[in-house]
Amino acid sequence: MSVAMKALERTQAATEAIVQRAQARFGAHRQEILRSTDRIFAWLLIGQWIFAIFIALTFSPYGWQGKVKVVHMHVWIALFLGAVIISLPVALAWRRPGELLTRHVIAAAQMLTSALLIHLSGGRIETHFHVFGSLAFLAFYRDWPVLITATVVVATEHLIRGILWPESVYGIPNPEWWRFLEHAFWVVFCISILIPSCRRGMKDMQVMAERGAELEALSENQWRKSSVMDRAATDAGAKG
Amino acid sequence: MERAPASHRSRHAPSLAVVGAALWLLAVTAGFAVLWRYKSTPGAEGVAPARWPAQAAVARSERRATLLLFAHPRCTCTRATVAELARLMARFQDRIDATVLFWTPRDAPPQWNGTDLWTSAARIPGVTVAPDTDGREAARFGVATSGGIVLYDRGGRLLFEGGITPARGHEGDSFGQERIASLLTSGTADRADAPVFGCPLESESPVRIARAGQSITYQGGKR
Repeated sequence: MSVAMKALERTQAATEAIVQRAQARFGAHRQEILRSTDRIFAWLLIGQWIFAIFIALTFSPYGWQGKVKVVHMHVWIALFLGAVIISLPVALAWRRPGELLTRHVIAAAQMLTSALLIHLSGGRIETHFHVFGSLAFLAFYRDWPVLITATVVVATEHLIRGILWPESVYGIPNPEWWRFLEHAFWVVFCISILIPSCRRGMKDMQVMAERGAELEALSENQWRKSSVMDRAATDAGAKG
Repeated sequence: MERAPASHRSRHAPSLAVVGAALWLLAVTAGFAVLWRYKSTPGAEGVAPARWPAQAAVARSERRATLLLFAHPRCTCTRATVAELARLMARFQDRIDATVLFWTPRDAPPQWNGTDLWTSAARIPGVTVAPDTDGREAARFGVATSGGIVLYDRGGRLLFEGGITPARGHEGDSFGQERIASLLTSGTADRADAPVFGCPLESESPVRIARAGQSITYQGGKR
């Protein structure tokens, strides 16, 4: 085999090693982001649940029937429905962090929490901002399909409620079937910016991983060269 | 009992997780269904007299329409009604004289009406607030649920009766508001009533209230 061929093979092997190292670095970095975001959401969901109970206890602690007071339905809903909503995502974030199902369940739970808070606050328009804040938080995953899951959950909730109880969503008795799309449009508007941003984030991570791998390979090469030179110098010293 | 080998556990784990997710979704859907049912069930509705009752203790305006809102001072669901009343008054303050009557039992403690609901209603421009001792006026106007509204024109003719929220304790556009707005602007509306969402004013049955007010009431359901 010629010297040129050997050099080419060595270069190819080195390149392959760099590519593999870049993939490993990218995978590890991505996992780290996914796991840490899962953990953030687990705490966020627990915090939101406590907040929902606080809202119910503060603003609607009792229902009244004349002089008779009973614990308001909102308190039970905040307590039990809130617990159900966060149960699975928190369990998955704890037991299976970084997995695909975990982040999609978290996305769905985050949107359901928005719906719960909107109900508990009496449909206040200000509480609807929770939906958009949640979408921004979900973009921390840098995994755009998570945003699609969140959008589908919001749209489905509106579609079902719009069919069964239209006035609660649209304030009119017989809305057109496509009215839920008008509401979903603003969510789509929001994610249409977040999705490219997630993709760019992933690309940046990939570039970072490649550069890191190249730097690692370079420094290893340098270390190897200097070791050879050190050994040669030591041998020469011993002979002299 | 013998534990399944690790390979078996990992093979079944994804399907178990998916089944768990499906069960979770089912439980969440059931929870929201309970919530929606609660929020969309109207309270007892009465029949308001077609003409302003002569024995009413509240004065009727002869310059513009008179709106009476009957509220339980501690019903948190009625906050949404008061918020919607504020919106209505911002649009039609020059066409309506509004009074909010708070259900007050004779033996109520001194702070019975010292609630944020009373304060919020009193802050709305063009709105007067007053106690309704033992719910006498509510019975007279056939209102059994907190958040119930009656609207009479200058001549004392009933224009509208019902609620102005889309659900229990839920703000937003509603049939009631739309109909009142339509009646005040064009003089007509598709219907002259709307469901009322809120706490019952009395702990007694609506039938007894009806008898006291000499009008017919019935429990729940849309008309």
